[in-house]
Amino acid sequence: METGLLVQMLLGALLGLSVYLPLRCGQLSLATPGFYAIGGTVAALLSTRVPALGSGDAFYPIASVLLEMALAALLTGVLALGLGRVVLRLRGIYLAIATIALVEILRVVTLNLEFTGGALGIFGIPQPFSGPEGYVGLTLILLAVVCWLCDRLEKTRPGRAMAAIRDDELAAASQGINTADTKLLAFVLSALVAGVTGVVAAHFLNSWNAKLGNFDASITTLAFVVFGGSRTWLGPVFGGLLLTALPELLRPVGDLRLIVFGAVILVGPLFFPQGLITPQLFQTLWRRMERSAVPRPQEGRP
Amino acid sequence: MEGLLQLLFNGLSVGAVYALFALGYTLVFSVLGVINFAHGAIFTLGAYFTYFLIGGTVGANGLMAGQQLPFSLPFWLALPLAGVGAAAVALGLERIAFRPLRERGSDPLLALITSLGAGVILVNLIQLLVGAESYSIPVGTLEALPVAISIAGAKVRTVQVLLLAIAGLLLVALSIWIDGSRSGKALQAVSEDPVTAQLLGINSGRMIQIAFGISGFLAGVAGGLVGLSVSIAGPYFGIGYGLKGLGVLVLGGLGSVPGAVLGGLIIGLAEACVPADLSGYKDAVAFGFLFLMLLIRPQGLLGRPLAEKV
Repeated sequence: METGLLVQMLLGALLGLSVYLPLRCGQLSLATPGFYAIGGTVAALLSTRVPALGSGDAFYPIASVLLEMALAALLTGVLALGLGRVVLRLRGIYLAIATIALVEILRVVTLNLEFTGGALGIFGIPQPFSGPEGYVGLTLILLAVVCWLCDRLEKTRPGRAMAAIRDDELAAASQGINTADTKLLAFVLSALVAGVTGVVAAHFLNSWNAKLGNFDASITTLAFVVFGGSRTWLGPVFGGLLLTALPELLRPVGDLRLIVFGAVILVGPLFFPQGLITPQLFQTLWRRMERSAVPRPQEGRP
Repeated sequence: MEGLLQLLFNGLSVGAVYALFALGYTLVFSVLGVINFAHGAIFTLGAYFTYFLIGGTVGANGLMAGQQLPFSLPFWLALPLAGVGAAAVALGLERIAFRPLRERGSDPLLALITSLGAGVILVNLIQLLVGAESYSIPVGTLEALPVAISIAGAKVRTVQVLLLAIAGLLLVALSIWIDGSRSGKALQAVSEDPVTAQLLGINSGRMIQIAFGISGFLAGVAGGLVGLSVSIAGPYFGIGYGLKGLGVLVLGGLGSVPGAVLGGLIIGLAEACVPADLSGYKDAVAFGFLFLMLLIRPQGLLGRPLAEKV
């Protein structure tokens, strides 16, 4: 497999996790591509317009990439904090539509502003690595950190509160959970993950334009989660890896590949309404392993 | 004065298309409570159907390159037939992407994904068969009608008048059907509560099919009209309308038929009022409205307040 595709798959997994985080509290937010685009634009602007960061060096310093990540995280985080207060008052499909609107407004504005490069975007984003292998390392570390975070979240108080809100918001509130703050936390975390992912993606792709954060991206990233499953963090990771790779793996069928891709998205939820990876799946697997590991008591003994 | 009238006509004719589009969304939303993301693809299909029924030829790309139907119909016949074709596809869509989920009582969220998958299939199937190039329905199709007429001094394209008239006709017919007929009342009952409606002897499944059929027909006709007035910009051209349709839907109120019409006209007029040097921002108008509306009045202009069910 090409190393470049592997990087894209890992980025897909990160975006899947970004959609998964609000969904953990039952909030369907499609804002991920918007924050992803903000992260990408921040990286593209800083690395090409601020020479002090080292764009003239043979390799762009990795410290500057980290600085961009920190700035992107700060920007998306503050933005998500403000926007989240407003949009999270909406529920269900209304929240989904409001976040689609946010993403589209952002896309149109980026498309029309001078300093973001307009429709063409920003080119020649400096490279911190000599090849895609470096990006594999960077995205793997990032993915590991986010996965660890999500895993901790499933086992700690705020994460449990999120699960409680997903199951029944009213009941959660009556148990003393601050539902507004918990939902906001999930929304902000989602924005941070998307923003930081955008920084890596901008360097990896070498150019950045408004199209990268559009409605298509909203839906593809949602498909990652629905397809992989939204009950554990492994679901979106798996969905992101698989669905990013799928159109490439389908290259041999040529023109039919997007049709097959559509068919997969169509059929997946019909046969696996919970997604492919569910906690039950692990329980069954675990039980099977236990059964085969522990010798069964022999029957028919006196 | 002429300028203003011109602006009004431009805005209204675009708004009428938005209204037709959003009505399809709203019909399906009112009975199922979900948004059909394949609606834009059905709209696109309607435009292509119209183009081929009037005897258009497939371009140089795609599997069907250079082919055309053995007959050619006049536009006034091709348009409703394209609508019927689009309705048939919408019914197939309901069967494949919506009904299995409904029968199993799955999370309605999943229908977003399945309908989107169906939309991706449709759009790419079009591209595979007839290529990605743009097609335009020649205005000469309208035979005897002049290209433009002048109303009170303003020059208005005949296509725009036609568009407004057909859209208006369909909207009136639809509201008469919904409020005045037995099956229209049944549809309202289903949108209130499918299970109770079923208990009262209404075939909910059938009403859902009817909603999909009408929704597909309206989208198909809207597609054909846009194909005539602007052009068919390629297989993806319905997606932009699909997104703006969401804005119209929310502005008017999810599930409200008069709301969809009002929302369409408002957004059409507002877009027409965007000055030329800011025209790049035109596409953001619908979403700006949408966002503000959700914050101020989530039920939309004419929707009913959202009841909190415990």
